[in-house]
Amino acid sequence: MHLLTDPLQFAFFNRALIAVILVSVLCALVGAWVVLRGLSYIGDAMSHAVFPGIVGAFLMQGNLLVGALIAAVLTALGIGAIGRRSGLKQDSAIGIVFVGMFALGVVMLSRAPTFTTDLSNFLIGNPLGVTPADLWGALAVTVVVGGILTAIQKELLLASFDPTEARAVGLPVRRLESLLLILIGLVVVLTVQLVGTTLSVSLLITSSAAARLLARSLKKMMLLAALLGTVGGVTGLYLSYYANTAPGATIVLVNTAIFLLALALRRRE
Amino acid sequence: MLGVENLTVKYGPQTALENASVRFEAGSFSAIIGPNGAGKSTLLKTLVGLLPDHADAVRFDEGHSARSCISYVPQQQTLDWAFPVTVWDAAMMGRTGRLGWLRWPGRKDRQIVEDALKETGVFDLRSRHIGALSGGQRQRVLLARMLARQGHLLLLDEPLTGVDAATQETLMGLLRRQADRGRAVVMVTHDLEQARRWCDHLVLVNRRVIADGTPEQVYTTQNIEATFSTSFLGHTHAEA
Repeated sequence: MHLLTDPLQFAFFNRALIAVILVSVLCALVGAWVVLRGLSYIGDAMSHAVFPGIVGAFLMQGNLLVGALIAAVLTALGIGAIGRRSGLKQDSAIGIVFVGMFALGVVMLSRAPTFTTDLSNFLIGNPLGVTPADLWGALAVTVVVGGILTAIQKELLLASFDPTEARAVGLPVRRLESLLLILIGLVVVLTVQLVGTTLSVSLLITSSAAARLLARSLKKMMLLAALLGTVGGVTGLYLSYYANTAPGATIVLVNTAIFLLALALRRRE
Repeated sequence: MLGVENLTVKYGPQTALENASVRFEAGSFSAIIGPNGAGKSTLLKTLVGLLPDHADAVRFDEGHSARSCISYVPQQQTLDWAFPVTVWDAAMMGRTGRLGWLRWPGRKDRQIVEDALKETGVFDLRSRHIGALSGGQRQRVLLARMLARQGHLLLLDEPLTGVDAATQETLMGLLRRQADRGRAVVMVTHDLEQARRWCDHLVLVNRRVIADGTPEQVYTTQNIEATFSTSFLGHTHAEA
């Protein structure tokens, strides 16, 4: 029992736990759509593309969320605009925008005096450094993103299951996708603190992908993704505490293991 | 009620459809028939509004704004049946376009969905995951969704493909009844025999409209040869 309660005497560990749980719930809400719409690649791109926004806000001591939101909107619009103007396939447009934005972030950060430490924090994250203000931010984002997704759930469902019918009844399928990209950008900001930009797509999609293998309705899929994400996050955090490993990467590894387990369980059915 | 005038659609150098003019009337069950690659789906997509570049070729009668009354049923195999929704959820999607933003399905919508599922005979399967259904049952679910939408124009892309013979009868009977109730029903099919049995309006298409009229007018050896044999000879011959 001490194994479980010992770390709880540290406030930073408690904050990390709460943050992991909040972000897991948030990622389940957004990740379900990312997985169902086949946006995993674009989600990964988005997680890298908001990097300059976060760095800019960090250097100007501004709000990271606002910085990331601006970068997310620019990226979502940029991918669409480049795709249309150039006539290139979308994956090329995504690749160009995402690498360009990420490089811009690294260049901006290289001007900072504490470049290496800051860079590794952004790239790998550190859940044990979560501040009370971060937690309030995470809660606010969870409520806002959850609210938006609930409000447009039936439209998203139709546009994801049958985009043709969605267009036939006059739904703005493209704009719904752009909105989803912006929400992904917002979620990434929260995951950056925990696992960094490079690993954030794991939190976003791994639990949802595992849940998809097992769940039969959207609601169950989201609930299960939130549950699996929470279990993975909490387990990973404890493991990293005792094994003295990088917490963000440990959480990602546990999530990956849970996914593989879900895959194995389904095969046996 | 709905139609196209002088519609020409090109995909790059390929002409999918040339100078096509067709009308579909309320109370009529029409079939667009032709071999693969004849431009059937292109014609249907234009009618639905999925090819916005050709919107000016589409004709609507007054009082029928396009979006609010069209029900489109895509080819079954273009959908992802592993998607986590139940039969009930899938049929309820028919209400999405009707309800509008920020409105939730109420008792009336649930009643409409229930009636639609009963009419297509899959109400007992309502809690099943759609992936667990047979091809015929899937098509019934799509038709239930179409009924739940309560459109006046029902456009269906290959509704008979992948469907067992018994279900084909049920589906055709159901569409026939929709037409008899005053709706305009248009289906794309390559099943000439079924179309001839159930439809009162046939349109033979092979990159252009070959024939357009009642089954008696259209179903001639000459028309059928013109529709189905040129496709083997390739594009240049069809144009010549």
